[in-house]
This record gives sequence, structure tokens and C-alpha cells, in this order.
Amino acid sequence: MIHQISRSAELTTLSEFRKYIALICSQHPEVDENILYDMQLAVDEACTNIIAHGYKGMNAGSIILSMEINDDYAEINLTDFGHAFEPSRSPAPNLDAGLEDRPTGGFGLFFIYQTMDNIDYTTNVYGNRLTFIKRFNNNV
Amino acid sequence: MDIKFIENKIADTMAVTGSIDALTAAVLTDFMLLKVGEGHHNLIVDLSQVEFMSSAGLRALLAALKECRNKGGDLRISGAQPGVDKVLKMSGFTNILKCFPNNQEALASFSE
Amino acid sequence: MFKNLRVKKYPVQFETRPGSLTSEWLLEDSDSPIILEQINNLPNNIKLRVYRNLLPPGLMIRFNIDPITWKGPDGQLHVGLKADEQTGFVHLWAHKNGSQQDEFFRLEISDNPQRGIDINLIHLNDPEGQRYSTDFDQDGEPTLFGTTRRNLEEERRAMDGGLAPGQIRKNLGASALAFQQIEAFLATLGHRAYFLDPLTYSSAWVFEKRGFAYVRGHKLMDDIQHEFQPGGKLHEALDGSTTFRKSDQWRTVRGRAWAIHDGILENIGEQWDGLRMIKQVGRHAGVDTFPDAEF
Repeated sequence: MIHQISRSAELTTLSEFRKYIALICSQHPEVDENILYDMQLAVDEACTNIIAHGYKGMNAGSIILSMEINDDYAEINLTDFGHAFEPSRSPAPNLDAGLEDRPTGGFGLFFIYQTMDNIDYTTNVYGNRLTFIKRFNNNV
Repeated sequence: MDIKFIENKIADTMAVTGSIDALTAAVLTDFMLLKVGEGHHNLIVDLSQVEFMSSAGLRALLAALKECRNKGGDLRISGAQPGVDKVLKMSGFTNILKCFPNNQEALASFSE
Repeated sequence: MFKNLRVKKYPVQFETRPGSLTSEWLLEDSDSPIILEQINNLPNNIKLRVYRNLLPPGLMIRFNIDPITWKGPDGQLHVGLKADEQTGFVHLWAHKNGSQQDEFFRLEISDNPQRGIDINLIHLNDPEGQRYSTDFDQDGEPTLFGTTRRNLEEERRAMDGGLAPGQIRKNLGASALAFQQIEAFLATLGHRAYFLDPLTYSSAWVFEKRGFAYVRGHKLMDDIQHEFQPGGKLHEALDGSTTFRKSDQWRTVRGRAWAIHDGILENIGEQWDGLRMIKQVGRHAGVDTFPDAEF
């Protein structure tokens, strides 16, 4: 079953997306707190990027969040209709930098890569779609 | 997101409640920089009531940390919950600022 | 034929193929989107067969029009089509008794610069309903749905008669049917989504219900919802200073739409402009900027 909500791409809706993910995951005991946080973090970082860059210069459009969960994994899709994001253009943050050199940006994408198992990004005239897969570790 | 400021001779505590994301981080940054500007150079940021923090929160902490150290003080974290703690670890922030499980230990660290 | 959905590692581009629709092209490719200009360059009879798919057969039958020949019981054509070669525009209209006065369907679609398709206009009017001449001002000049000029007296009558801005007659109540038909047509052409710019607040609300999301303007719709609540700037601006700013208009979609048509958004430093919506074929976005609204 696909669960979906649509909200405007504004910072005020970030918490609504996190709450929605928590709501859907509460129906699935396989999803523990760590997995939930990972998913909320990845979605939060991605939406923050869409809000900051995707709809820059225009009255913000929609972000559509859809989720599908089964026993083994969750698939999350984020669709927006703004400028395409170019992940290859974002430098990875320097984790070993001293205080003076530490960058203040670049962590968003990095966290997405650290927390999600599969990431796919498709962009065309009909919109941009980011897909995350988060696998659950079934204990042996 | 709420911030409570508790003064103490050794170090002041900022007890944050709620979520620190791209929306609320600006408020936190402004508040922390204000306090540092007023002369509070030793700060403990109590994250025990923070259920969620994203990279926006890291930026806020970093900005305040730099200011505190520039003024000869320090900023330390207390009570980070598992998710928030993971964000601090993943980013390597645990290498540049001290984190403690609770306020007492954080406060004690300023006396050493 | 259905294809299994595959997750692709590389970005997938849905390219339209420029050039004419030749039989070689059509033989080898069943998926790439076709644009209206390509169809408009085909022979007339093919155009008729293709564009016939834009009209719900059930709607034609309801008005006693043969869905295949487009003729009424009088043997005359009751449907008009304009789809000129070398253009990307298609205009389609249908009338009940043979004159523009009892037109019940008008659709205008066109290719957009990104080689997608926009719905520029869709009207489903009840030909039996009272007609309000909001489309012409007192000097007989066209108002273009009240955007360039206004006929205030007719607008007032239309508002009191239960219409929303931009309407000259009550709706047919067939918009779900019409959109399903248009969507199926566009999917046949290979498009996965289509676009429109909502003319009014009330039409944007209708399109939300039809499953459209916003390319631009979702934030504006949220702000409007927020500011029409008691205590908000738009709520306060409903001060009766004009006929279209009565104090209770915040409660309904139509009421808000008339106030916005009257320019009330100036109170939040905005205009009704630049909104754009998108409908993904087969998907309902679930956008609801005015929850539990009464039209």
C-alpha cells in the first residue's frame, strides 16, 4: 500500500513530513527508532535542499512524499517540480577538518548517502523524483 | 522549538526542546550568538529534549562554537539522544566538540 | 501493452522526437511523447479521429450528439475543431442547439516550450443555466474573464447567482468525466503529466480536487488559507469596501475567489499570478490547501 502526502515546499512543512513518516512507521514493528530517524533525516535533508534550491526564485510549488513499507524495506519517493538538483556538483564535506576549515554546508547530501541503502534520482520535464530504499536488518 | 537559558558561574546551559531543523536552526543560532555576545563564553547545549536534529543544527552549533572559542571559552553538548548523537558522530563533530551524557558531567568538565 | 516498471540507475529522459510523424517512426516507437503540432500536420481525417478522443462519449450522448460524426439530430455539426497545421494549438467546442449561445464544452490545449502539453482553457457550462455577461464590459469590450477589464454589475449578479469568477454560466458538473477523458488522451500520446495555469482561486481549488499539484504557487495557496482565517490580513480586508469583499466571504471557495478577483491579495503584497499546476497521469497528488471547504 502506498502512503502519500503533498505539501508546499516551505520550511514550515519539514516537521509535517517527519511526523507523517513516524505515523506510517508506527504501524510497522520492524521499523525501530534508528531506522525511523534515518528515514526522517534523509527526507528532511532532501526536502531542505528542494526548498532552498529547487524552487528558488519562484513561489514554491509542491513536494509529494510517498512511502511503501513491507517486511524487508521501505521505499520513499520525493517528487518536486522545481529546478533539478545536481548531486554530482555537491562536494563531500571534509570530516577531518579542524575547526577553522570545517565547512558549514554539504552535510545534507552526505547524511542521505550514509543512511539510505539505495538512492535514485530521475529528472525530466514532468518533475524530479528522488527515491530512497531503506532496508531493515532482520536479526538472525 | 523552545530554548531555556540557565545561568551558572562556571558555564551557562541552553536547554533546547523540540526539533532543530532548517526552520528552527536560525532561531537557535541567533539566540546562541546573542548570549555569547553578552559575555556568556562557556556554554552547555542540553539536547536531552531534542527529538530530531538535521545538518542545519550542526551549522548552528558550529557558529556558536567558533564564537565561544574565539572569546576564550567553549561550547559543549549534553544529553544527545541516539538519533542526534548519530548525526554528531556521522559528521565528525564529536571530534571537534565535547559531548557528555548529562548536564552534571558537562558542567564538571568546565571546572577541570 | 504494459511494461514492467524498472528502477533505472541513470536519469531517464522522456524525449519527444522532433520532426514529422512518419509511418517508419510510428512503426518503431510506441512510447515517446507526441506533441500536438505533429498531429496537426497530419491529414484532416486523421486529426478528426485522433481529437475525437478528447470528448467524453457520454457527454455527447447527453446532448444528443453522435460521438462519432459529431452531428445532432438536425444533421448539422454540433462540434467544432480548430487544429491548424504548423501550430501546436487545438481548440475544441460543442454546442447543444447549433449556436455559440448554448455552448456546453470548450477545450483549448497547446504544446508548451518544454514540449509538454498545457490545458489553456476548459469550460463545461450548463446551456440551460442563466447566462451572465461577465465576458464583455459595458462598452462591449471583451473582459478576458475579468482579467483586462471588468463588468462589475454583471459580476455582482453572477456572484449572487452562485457562480465563481470567470464563469458565465453554472457548471455542468462533468469535470471529473472530462478530465479522465483528456488524461487518457494525453497518455495515448505518451505524456506522463500535463500542465495548466489556474485562472482563479476557485479553479485552482477544483484542480486540487482533480489531483493536480503545484509547480508554482503552493505557498501562495497556503498563505491565502492562513490569512483568511480570523485574525489574518485577508480576513480583515473583507470589510465591505466593495461588493466583493463581504465579511463572510472567507468561509467558502467562491467567496474567497471573488475577493481575490477583486484584488484583495494586495493586502499581503501578492497578486493572483504565476501559479502553475501539474497532473501526473494516473496519480492523484492529494493537495488540499483549503481542507473541508464548501464551494
